[in-house]
Amino acid sequence: MTAQGKTHFFSQAWLVLVLAICFGGLLAGMQIVLGPTIEANKINETLERVPELVFGAAHAKELSETGMEIKPLSVGVEKAGKTVRYNVYETKSDGRLAGWVTKSAGQGYADKIEILIGFDPQVEKITGLFVLDQKETPGLGNKILEAGWRGQFLDKSTAKPLAPVKGQAKAGHEIDAITGATISSKAVTDIINTAVADLRQPLTDKAKGQ
Amino acid sequence: MSYLIDIILIALGAALINNFVLHYFVGICPFVGVSRRIDMAFGMGCAVTFVITIAAFISWAITTFVLVPGAPLSRWIAGFFVPAETAAGIDLTILSYIVYILAISSSVQFVEMYVRKFYPPLYKSFGVYLPLITTNCAILFACLTIMSNIVGVDDPSAAWDLGRSLILAIFGGVGFTIAIVIMAGIREELDLCDVPEPFKGAGITMIVSGIMALAFMGFTGVDSGLKKALTAEKPSAAARIEEHPAEAIIAAQKTTMPTAEQSHP
Amino acid sequence: MADQPTATERFIQGILPENPVLRQLLGLCPALAVTANMKSALTMTGAVLFVLFCANVITSLIRNLLKPHLRIVVFTLTIATFVTIADRFLAAYLYQMSKTLGPYIPLIIVNCIIICRCEVCASKQSVFVAGADAIGQSIGFGLAISAIAAVREILGTGNFFDIPVLPAAWPDWVVMVLPPGAFLTFGLLIGLVNWYETVRAQRPVREVLEPAQSEGA
Repeated sequence: MTAQGKTHFFSQAWLVLVLAICFGGLLAGMQIVLGPTIEANKINETLERVPELVFGAAHAKELSETGMEIKPLSVGVEKAGKTVRYNVYETKSDGRLAGWVTKSAGQGYADKIEILIGFDPQVEKITGLFVLDQKETPGLGNKILEAGWRGQFLDKSTAKPLAPVKGQAKAGHEIDAITGATISSKAVTDIINTAVADLRQPLTDKAKGQ
Repeated sequence: MSYLIDIILIALGAALINNFVLHYFVGICPFVGVSRRIDMAFGMGCAVTFVITIAAFISWAITTFVLVPGAPLSRWIAGFFVPAETAAGIDLTILSYIVYILAISSSVQFVEMYVRKFYPPLYKSFGVYLPLITTNCAILFACLTIMSNIVGVDDPSAAWDLGRSLILAIFGGVGFTIAIVIMAGIREELDLCDVPEPFKGAGITMIVSGIMALAFMGFTGVDSGLKKALTAEKPSAAARIEEHPAEAIIAAQKTTMPTAEQSHP
Repeated sequence: MADQPTATERFIQGILPENPVLRQLLGLCPALAVTANMKSALTMTGAVLFVLFCANVITSLIRNLLKPHLRIVVFTLTIATFVTIADRFLAAYLYQMSKTLGPYIPLIIVNCIIICRCEVCASKQSVFVAGADAIGQSIGFGLAISAIAAVREILGTGNFFDIPVLPAAWPDWVVMVLPPGAFLTFGLLIGLVNWYETVRAQRPVREVLEPAQSEGA
């Protein structure tokens, strides 16, 4: 009975098994061929932005010929009993520390906003800002992508938390909020302020250590 | 406390703000097909919620214990055949889609058989919808969302646990039920209206869904406001810096430097 | 087998008379979700073409070996494999696009078009017919979602394939690139196609069949 059941099972299912093995082999082959490219894509997405966020778009091009070293770090910050992790890229030019770039995310108006922020070695000013991922309202909130608006953050001092204001920004720490998208503007500045507050101490310590 | 806030935000997001049907467009087929009468729509909604919860549980377990790089079960099994360090790096995420779809269809089969045998009244009320649900995008979409929150995160400790996954699934199903029941209510009234001939059926359903989607967009931003109101930022206490392994650095040095000026892709 | 449609008939049928999206209302999920701009709509069409073609050909090759009660498992297994391949391929060579399409590429697995074509056509007919059917259905799918995407992109952003086509004074109808725009455009398009079909049905049948036959010759 059992033997008969077994033959019956194989005569029914052999095609499924053969197909499963073939497809498994096919997928394994795919993974071997394409896996490294996909991994590289994931890393490059953030990495290729790093130079311009530290040195500025114009300067980054000249530097690309000379030596530049980017080292990814993971910084864990203890906050309210929980560890928050930041991916930080340490950028060195000719062996000297040139700046930091950190990936940071926070709640925007519609969904999570993910940005890259560039700092100078002492985390005293912002050297660049890039929006990696956002799903804000097209035409309003997604103006945070525009170079003009992001340009405001360049060379801002991190001594005082940044504050978005409606109308014309006057004081050094003020940022023009986008008309009709105050929440998105505030979300970006909040992400920056949190990142500065969390990372200033560990990064300055590390800069001194070198 | 922060876990509770997280749960509330996920629930609210799945049910209302990013409604499965009206924001992500998944589960449109039953939404159009089974929304003629309120009682049928409600039965379909309950069946989807039920199956989506089971599928979420299975896919969370499979993802966490088998598929994710360095998952305990696959590491343990591979440990018999290859050295420990090779086994630790085993990554089966490429198989995830196949595994999910097979898990969903077989669990639907089992649920159908079980319900038919032991709860005939329940089977009568929603059992007929069960086979239809296998090819419902909403179920696979929930599995994929859970997967992207386990595999795709930078920080392993932020990966979703079972609680979060189940909440997403249950409230995703609730959101589907809300949408399909409202739609059925509107369509019952529409039967009495003089709809132009070409628009009868799917056409008018789509246009009404467009207006509903517009209404549901009003929920956007509720979660960010709620999160602000509930969480208070506390200053950071201590920090730890870890260097990444050599492969990452090599990959970093290989990177081609950008030439284009900064513009969002 | 005598009354089964030929390859050419299958091909033509997929494009309009049996258009998967507009006539059979299959695969609505991608038709609504990835049609905010033309580029993602075309990438989606490419992925569907690849998966449908491979699944149809493989199903057709093994159609005589299929056990009736196991056929759905075989279809699902085949489709899921090719979807994974398409997904990995996009991630490797069109990374930004694969991020934009996100979960909608894996959702091709549960796209009713593909399993329906395997069941209706590929499991009964030869490889050649199945291939032609896959290409016809994919072109039909592509035409339908490109139509929606063109309307949404032009009205929503004033661009077509990211190239500005409307004057700068055009106030972008942002709602068109948001979810409600997808539902509205699709609803109107279904209405339009149904209206066209009723108008056409009133004309003599000969006129309708003629283009199909002349292309077949």
